[in-house]
Amino acid sequence: MLPLIRSEFRKLSTVRSPWLLLAAGPLLVVAGVTGLVQSGGNVHDPATAGKALAHVTLAALFTLIFGIFAVAGEYRHGTVTDTFLSTPARGRVVAAKLAVYGSAGAVAGLVSAAAAVAVTAAWWSAKGGSFQLSAADSWRVLAGGVAVNIAFAAIGVGVGALLRNLAVAIAAALAWIALVEGIAGQLVGTGLARWLPFSASEALGRANMTGTAGFLPQWGGGLVLAGYAIAFAATAMVTTLRHDVT
Amino acid sequence: MAEVEVRDLAKNFGRVAAVRGMSFTARAGKVTGFLGPNGSGKTTTLRIVLGLVRADAGTALIGGVPYGRLARPRHTVGAMLEATGFHPGRRARDHLRVIADAAGIPGRRVDEVLAQVDLTSAARRRVRGFSLGMHQRLGLATALLGDPRVLLLDEPANGLDPAGIAWLRGLLRSLADEGRTVIVASHVLSEVAQTADHVVIVSAGQVRFAGPLDEIGSTNNALESAFLKLTAAAG
Repeated sequence: MLPLIRSEFRKLSTVRSPWLLLAAGPLLVVAGVTGLVQSGGNVHDPATAGKALAHVTLAALFTLIFGIFAVAGEYRHGTVTDTFLSTPARGRVVAAKLAVYGSAGAVAGLVSAAAAVAVTAAWWSAKGGSFQLSAADSWRVLAGGVAVNIAFAAIGVGVGALLRNLAVAIAAALAWIALVEGIAGQLVGTGLARWLPFSASEALGRANMTGTAGFLPQWGGGLVLAGYAIAFAATAMVTTLRHDVT
Repeated sequence: MAEVEVRDLAKNFGRVAAVRGMSFTARAGKVTGFLGPNGSGKTTTLRIVLGLVRADAGTALIGGVPYGRLARPRHTVGAMLEATGFHPGRRARDHLRVIADAAGIPGRRVDEVLAQVDLTSAARRRVRGFSLGMHQRLGLATALLGDPRVLLLDEPANGLDPAGIAWLRGLLRSLADEGRTVIVASHVLSEVAQTADHVVIVSAGQVRFAGPLDEIGSTNNALESAFLKLTAAAG
């Protein structure tokens, strides 16, 4: 397994595009927090700090797309043939990708979290508020955000392995988040809709311990999202094993 | 020594019968030309041998073992397929190192095969700047990386200049003389006539001829006439 993990790390470290994608996360965080403050966010209201730090979860959209590249990108460039020639035990390839991309997702989440803390502290002090990182809520929101990044990286790997078409997978993931969950929410009501993956990620990334309106509590969101990540990963392994690479 | 043995292989893609009962053996120490028109099931057969496509029936064994059960696949079979791609943003040397990592092959072997295919000077360039000939040579380097006992090459001379074609012919010959099993799928019958010891001619998913090239006659015209006659009568 170790040789496979080394190979997957080298695949990532020898091209530039995945890193550009991940770098967009912290940039989005900085832009988001700035926008929040500039549009009238009240730095003296403790809840605003939570909203600022929750941008780490928003940045996880880039981590999701990053994860999609893991398998779908190999189909796009035709390198999947070499990958399966090297390792005919395809399940191990998917497992190695989950490990490597999940780790990269964690790093991306941590960098976004650091950016969130830095830009929030900067704006708060500029606007005369006091930003307390030591507040328990801050840590919870940041930890939740990092967890969402890890889960989205894994889910991305699974979605890319299932659909095997990079453009379709990215479009499907974004359409799901932008449209499907919203529409499903209208149809079945928020009671059920909050169990859907993106809603669960919102819960994990920003909700409090008992759950805000329409969202699960944070720990519930975490469990549900972990369940989705495992389900996508397992399905991806099974379909990858049987697929004819033509 | 590892022979490639295909027995009663069959594969349908939906309603298309790509391979309809194919059997042949490629022997060690020989260059076997694998010939057939487009759509003959040639590529599908190679992909089944390599474990990329799952057969509906029959067996494809390398040294008595299916590809998926080889202990060290890259050390047993070196494959160069037309559809193999490269990430355009990756350097040639890194492409090989990625494969070497997964297969447990040391870094110095990467430099050896780059030198063997004359890509040392381009090793640190990204693949997007490569000509067709350079792509082909990188694919060949990939196949040679594990110093494999079996080589399975699909149109390896594509894009090579005359010096390259002559060099490749010599390489295939020497690999076979070392006791390896060399299978070359090609449309360039004149090259096959010069290089191959045995030929397997397929069309419409079945073998039409399998045997020594001498049985057909190794002049350029003999192979071409036999090929066209055997593959035209397909049903």
